[in-house]
Amino acid sequence: MPSIEQRGWAERLSCEISAAWAIAKKDMRIYYLKPNIIVSGIFFPLFMFLAFALGKNTPPGTLIPGLISITLLFSASSIEPVSIPIERRVKTFERLLAAPISLNSLVSGESLSGFLYSLGIACMPLAVGIFIFSTPIVHVPALVISMILTAFCFATLGTLFAAYPTENVGEVISILNTVRLPLIFISGVFIPISAMPQIGQSIALISPLTYGNDMIEYAYTGKSLFSPLLDIAALIIFILIFQITANYLYKKFNE
Amino acid sequence: MQAIEVSHLTKKFGSLTALNNISFSVGEGETFGFLGPNGAGKTTTIRILTGVSRPGSGTASIFGHDIEHDKIAARQSMGIVSENSNVYDDLTAWQNMMFSAELYHVGRKEREEKATELLKKFELYDRRDDKAHGFSKGMKRRLTLAMGLVNSPRLLFLDEPTSGLDVQSNLIIRDVVSELVLEGVTVFLTTHNIEEANVMCDRVAIINKGNIVAIDAPEALKKTIQSVQSIEVSFDHNSANQLDELSHLPMVNEAQKAGDKFKLYTEDPSELIDAVVDYAQMNKLKIVSIATLGPSLEDVFIRLTGLQRGGEGIHAID
Repeated sequence: MPSIEQRGWAERLSCEISAAWAIAKKDMRIYYLKPNIIVSGIFFPLFMFLAFALGKNTPPGTLIPGLISITLLFSASSIEPVSIPIERRVKTFERLLAAPISLNSLVSGESLSGFLYSLGIACMPLAVGIFIFSTPIVHVPALVISMILTAFCFATLGTLFAAYPTENVGEVISILNTVRLPLIFISGVFIPISAMPQIGQSIALISPLTYGNDMIEYAYTGKSLFSPLLDIAALIIFILIFQITANYLYKKFNE
Repeated sequence: MQAIEVSHLTKKFGSLTALNNISFSVGEGETFGFLGPNGAGKTTTIRILTGVSRPGSGTASIFGHDIEHDKIAARQSMGIVSENSNVYDDLTAWQNMMFSAELYHVGRKEREEKATELLKKFELYDRRDDKAHGFSKGMKRRLTLAMGLVNSPRLLFLDEPTSGLDVQSNLIIRDVVSELVLEGVTVFLTTHNIEEANVMCDRVAIINKGNIVAIDAPEALKKTIQSVQSIEVSFDHNSANQLDELSHLPMVNEAQKAGDKFKLYTEDPSELIDAVVDYAQMNKLKIVSIATLGPSLEDVFIRLTGLQRGGEGIHAID
């Protein structure tokens, strides 16, 4: 086997990608069926949605974009805040920190499992919309892009919060919920941003869910607050911010 | 080229100095023991050498690769077996091996061959499809070691490899490590089992309170404290106050009971043997065995770290 320094950049990149994929596969095998992940990733967004949507005088099919948005938010950010504190406790996280991979690959690998989990879970409300309520999708490519970017954005957010150096899952989830729960109220999921007071509209601009939800709405209705390109750009910027901050925090907390 | 080169390494946690300007090197193919009481700085050193933690100042390199600036290349040549058997309980033995190999960029065919070889060597092949949570402590330890070897490392970090293990696992691990040494693998070993270090290591470093207080071959270290000699004696029957009586014999500096034997520390073994024979005759005891012993590595360790012996082992003074 050639040593790492003898390998070209393309091969090194391939090594990093395969290591990130190995981390994601490991998480899928271990954590996808853990009860707290299922509660946090599936039941929590569903019941949260029902609590706000039931009793509203709107056709159920029109609620599908909002349900997809909050499903992506909760499911994507539910894996790492559980898996990483557990792995710190049983010392398997040390194995990842000492492996010959960059911190970027470690963070990406961790986020990848949340991302794939989230896409899988979000297919449920998508299928309910298509097969039960016959909710039309106006722009399929926009829906695919928005789901991919939103899922990856919140998976990275989950990895970022899991950087908090604790072995206690509850501690990370509590801190994360102080951010996740307000997001669903300020991002146009339940209350349209245009109907919010001025301060609410300003705060909505700093929520990644605003842009994800806006683009999903666009995919379903053809109408959106911002242009889809702006939504895409904003989500990419959030992903970069979360990824860079996560890299920094994992490095800092392990010194 | 040295396998490990450490130069003026310092690490502080707030006001606590965990490592105080330590320097040492480990040659390629050497088995190097790193001994010290709890909190001495062993884990901090390993964390820095494996690139998990950053030094405050100083440098460390692995086969010429600076661990801070050329981390990935340095880590590629290492195998790490941590003190905790950090296997994934929810994965099978085979999945654990595959995951570890993928992290170290081992190709598919090579990792399958290596995993098969190692699982057979560690007597886990028949359990390869079982999840690790059903494994005994010894089996998990063997799996941890197998995972650490899946990338065929040139340098193996072994943190307390046999601590608290059953005899079978202990023997398998020691045999495998001996084989690795014959193959030229460099081994960096930390252990509380000083006899293990004495038997396995070419050289040992003793670290205490962040400072390296001695570094040499075990036999060379023992020569530095020739004044600590002892005789070991056993009688045909023992009584409750025998230890106390023996400790009051002339020339005895310290007495210990170990099973059916008494270990009497002295600076003059020949005088003490006479005194022990007289004591046996006076108390109508038969001497079953008697031997003079030179200083052990444990004696060196105790002398240099300022620890003191208790009834069942070594205890820190502070």
